[in-house]
Amino acid sequence: MHRRLHGRGALFDVEPAGLVPRIVGLRPYQHRTHPLEHPGELPFVVLTGARGLGKSAVLGELRDAYQRHTPVALIDCAEAQFAAPPAERPAESWSPLAQALLVVAEQLAEPVTGAGRIPFPRLMSGLVAVAAGGWGDADSERIRREVERILLLGESGSWISGFAGRWAGKVAAKVVAAATGTGPLVSGAIEATLESVAEGFASRRHQKASVWYRAYPNAGGHAQRGLILLSGHFRAGGTSREHAERYLVRALLADLTEAYAGVLPRMQRLGRPLVLVDNAQTGPGPALLDAVLRDRADGVADHVAFVAAVRGDGRELLRNAVRRELPEVARRTGWTPDAAAPSSRALLVALPPLSPDDTLHLVDTPGAPRLAPAVHRLTGGNPLGVALLAEAAVQNPERTGALGELLTAGVRLTDEGPAAPAHLQLLDRLVPADRLEELTVLAAAHDHDSACALAAALLPDDFGPADVRALQSRLTREGLPAAPGQFVGDPFVRTLLLLRLHLRDADHGGWRTAHETLITHYAEYLGTDRLAPFRLHHQLALGKAGAAVDHLRDGFALLDARSWLRTLRFIASAPYFHAHDAEGHDSTGHGDRRAAVALGRTDAQQPVPEGVDAVLHLRVRRVLHAVWQLADPLVLPDPKVADRLRFELEQLSNLRPAGNALLWRASRDWPAAALAGRPLAEPDDDEGDDERSGVA
Amino acid sequence: MAGRGVGTWLREGVWEIPLRRYLALLVTLCLLTGLFFGVRTLTHDDRSCAPGVARPEGSDECVGVATTAYDFGHPQLRPTVRAIARENGRLKAGSYVTVAVMLPYTSTAAANLADIQHELQGAYLAQYQANHASNGESPAIRLVLANPGATSRYWREMVTRLAAMTGGTDRLRAVAGVGQSTDANMKAVRELTRLGIPVIGSSITADDLANGQQGKDPYPGLARVSPTNTDEAHALASFAKVSAGRAMLVYDRPGDPYTRTLQTSFEALIKGSPHLAQPFTPPADRSEEGTTANTFRQIALLICGTPRSIDTVLFAGRHTQLRQFINALGARGCQDRKFTVLTGDEGSYLTGERSLHRDVLGPTLTVRYTALAHPDAWGRGSPRTGGSAADMAALTELLKSAVRAPVGPVGPVALEDGQLIIAYDAMRLAVHGIREAVPEGRSVPTLADVGLQWPQVKGPLRVSGASGWICLDVHGNPYDKAVPVVELRPGGGSRFVQIAWPEGKPPGAECLPPS
Repeated sequence: MHRRLHGRGALFDVEPAGLVPRIVGLRPYQHRTHPLEHPGELPFVVLTGARGLGKSAVLGELRDAYQRHTPVALIDCAEAQFAAPPAERPAESWSPLAQALLVVAEQLAEPVTGAGRIPFPRLMSGLVAVAAGGWGDADSERIRREVERILLLGESGSWISGFAGRWAGKVAAKVVAAATGTGPLVSGAIEATLESVAEGFASRRHQKASVWYRAYPNAGGHAQRGLILLSGHFRAGGTSREHAERYLVRALLADLTEAYAGVLPRMQRLGRPLVLVDNAQTGPGPALLDAVLRDRADGVADHVAFVAAVRGDGRELLRNAVRRELPEVARRTGWTPDAAAPSSRALLVALPPLSPDDTLHLVDTPGAPRLAPAVHRLTGGNPLGVALLAEAAVQNPERTGALGELLTAGVRLTDEGPAAPAHLQLLDRLVPADRLEELTVLAAAHDHDSACALAAALLPDDFGPADVRALQSRLTREGLPAAPGQFVGDPFVRTLLLLRLHLRDADHGGWRTAHETLITHYAEYLGTDRLAPFRLHHQLALGKAGAAVDHLRDGFALLDARSWLRTLRFIASAPYFHAHDAEGHDSTGHGDRRAAVALGRTDAQQPVPEGVDAVLHLRVRRVLHAVWQLADPLVLPDPKVADRLRFELEQLSNLRPAGNALLWRASRDWPAAALAGRPLAEPDDDEGDDERSGVA
Repeated sequence: MAGRGVGTWLREGVWEIPLRRYLALLVTLCLLTGLFFGVRTLTHDDRSCAPGVARPEGSDECVGVATTAYDFGHPQLRPTVRAIARENGRLKAGSYVTVAVMLPYTSTAAANLADIQHELQGAYLAQYQANHASNGESPAIRLVLANPGATSRYWREMVTRLAAMTGGTDRLRAVAGVGQSTDANMKAVRELTRLGIPVIGSSITADDLANGQQGKDPYPGLARVSPTNTDEAHALASFAKVSAGRAMLVYDRPGDPYTRTLQTSFEALIKGSPHLAQPFTPPADRSEEGTTANTFRQIALLICGTPRSIDTVLFAGRHTQLRQFINALGARGCQDRKFTVLTGDEGSYLTGERSLHRDVLGPTLTVRYTALAHPDAWGRGSPRTGGSAADMAALTELLKSAVRAPVGPVGPVALEDGQLIIAYDAMRLAVHGIREAVPEGRSVPTLADVGLQWPQVKGPLRVSGASGWICLDVHGNPYDKAVPVVELRPGGGSRFVQIAWPEGKPPGAECLPPS
């Protein structure tokens, strides 16, 4: 019945309880209490991670898990409704945060099991006061529309619901009359609202709410004056508006606290209310975070469980926040706030990628048992990638033989929606949409210089080196890891971008130009051994293996075993799309010739250059193609090729007494790693390395 | 919640929410309590009929002592029990003592029931008189109804209950009535007197339900209003001049105390008679018909076969059998012979009996019996001593006022069977004893003192009863009590014939029994 997220047990588990049940005080999907980990002040939980790590999925799951059990609100700060005011509404009476508070309160007000609606009279009064600031030239119809939505927050949702509805209508009429009549506009509307709040409900709670704004600075004990000041501050903008907005947030939290105070509510309501804020790095998110954290730091206590999601690592947003990896908070947060820094009241939890086991559970294709490890190797456990590929595999079972084909296959994510290639859908959600074109080109680069070269060759003139740097830092900020030797650090995203680059032009012109540009870029430094692998890497990407074979053959005698293997691995990590013909040009047909070369089937037709060891030449050629095939994340590793690689490396190790152990170890590790879906590691990464221990 | 079990709903939708949990617990508690009481009410065998009255195990009879207006299921008793309850309700707490009227209230036989009704009316009238027309004498009298069952089978339950009422606010000081002279009633009286509770028998006539048998007092504290069978037989003999050659005896075998003492007395009268006495054996409950009608047909044949000198039949039996006998004798073959049937006070039951073939009564068959009392007994020509018309007139006056409030209503009354008169006298004797026993300066007598008053009831301290003077001997038996001889009328009812005297003549004006 429940949609369960894989690999997020540290958040959702029940026995023993994960992080969220411990701070909400309720078991997910059940109406059962759970002991609170922080019965006093609780941390503002912020989930961090790059795009595609499943933050939104986690928040959606949380909402499903707690809806109807405790008040839950989920807002996505990146939504359009928080970006700009509605067409007819002046900006001076609207702010993203005010809009977010309205939406949050509307969702929190919904009744839950065992308890009715939560009224928000304080927030309602505040929002009316703010909205009244923009009614200078408004027609009564607009005012009615705006005020009625806000007034619905005051509904206590008792069984006399009809009465409440009439009340809202009556107050709206009164407010409209006050606002359109003569006399001071704002104060008239506020007065009407406050009077209605105080008179419309006889209960003590509403009486208390109607005088809450007395405490507003300089209000002098008059709630109405407090609201007028609030409205003025909001309109003034700048820090004054920040101050007013903080007060609105405080009003929301005070209303929630009130709803949980007293004997009867305590006997009716379980756990804490839950507010979920997606994309909190944008829109109203930072202001909301700031207001809540500062209030908590100032000792204005509330008992709302906040779970926000922030793209990137959240370092800029919350400098002093406590940082934890997800597994660390599985049983205990170990969180204690630092009184001096408001941001220390947040708890940053980094979402990790999925484990191979989780991938296995998601990619459930009995017909292709080797698909799941390959998907994990390609995506690195990126939940979005794994889920989308799993869906693609379900929709295109005939293309599960190669991940490259799966990625180019059309995938329909909704029943009605159009099918689009999987890799494009992934890129839409994994990289900033406004920089997709640039990134597509720059994905082939290895560093800033090569990126600049590519930009100069393939991108419009206005995209200069400064823009390259800006893009690089933006990627880092969004949580995509930086990797030495690659402009786009994340291998999965890079692979997708390169795939897009390859397929962008029908004749693969862009693809070829990019690689040729880089070959040229690295050729300028010809003569220095350090750069040769880069050039050979891109030549290989264009299907030209000859130079690489020559380089490796000659280098086998000159280089030490470790360097040779490293060079081999780097060159062979070149992307490979489509089949290439004998001349190195890619043909339109599908098929992978690398296996044939690796298995020695083409040796007979292969001319061996003059004056070289023909056996070694052919062996190096076979090894290069084998590694190329096995290291390619877009194809399933071929067991026969892996077996051949083991044999060939063994043979090479016999030729090199000095590097014997290293080569021999590679002959064991690399095929095994490739088949298991792991990247090919340098042999000396392992313990018990003969050479290293010999040096030591 | 759809698809989830009731258990989950109870756990999460009710138990987890404190408000609902406590409400649910409260509701459950209420339901369980209701269930408990419901089941208890359904399964509980409520054997009580009214306060103090209950059905014993295995019986549907309501026995015990009724202290409220409970009519034992007989509507004809209702006006009287209501009148009694009204009178009891008027009494102030602490100012009264209780007298129980012991009668077989659950009897279903119409004759018995009429008897009971009349006795109860008489007792009530005496109570009313004692509380209202006695110059404020104390203590006031409260009446309760003690029922030992139709055949007195449950006398023990009744006695236990009565014994418990001697203390507390009830202050039971006497039991009046008793009813017929049966074995069970004898046991009841023995037990009551053993417990020190004074008993005043109204219509008991058996010789062995009396003190002074061979000089012994087996029932200390028992007083009687009616003469013993022996006295009745003597009175009858003195009236009819019965001799051995003219009379024949028909008797109940084995009989009960009443029939046995009557039989003994009759046997003594006709000692040496050449004619065999004829026995019959009725059912244990002598109000049932049984098969004795056949026996009586044979006895009637036998009587016709006797010499013509025989013109008197002495009948020692109960009224049902008497009626059967009279009917059988009325159908005798020898219609040319005249017979007079003489019997004890059971004959009074036949005055209103429907099953009696009255057409057989007439010149050739007369039925005479000794009544306990008769309304016509006192009038002009009555002796100057032994009773007076004025005493009877007092009761008659009371009866007139009892038709409506505040005294009545007590329902229809009938005086001819004498039961009302005798019960009235018994109750007056009880009141007399109680009030005589009140010590100086107190308002309530002790239980023991009441029973000690009976030997003093003589001379000026006699009770001038409506049925005649009541002067008690040292054993509590009436001395030379007037015995009205009555004849059944063919047209129904009875005709007073003459007062007979056990001693052969009325007592002296001083009314002192020989000690």
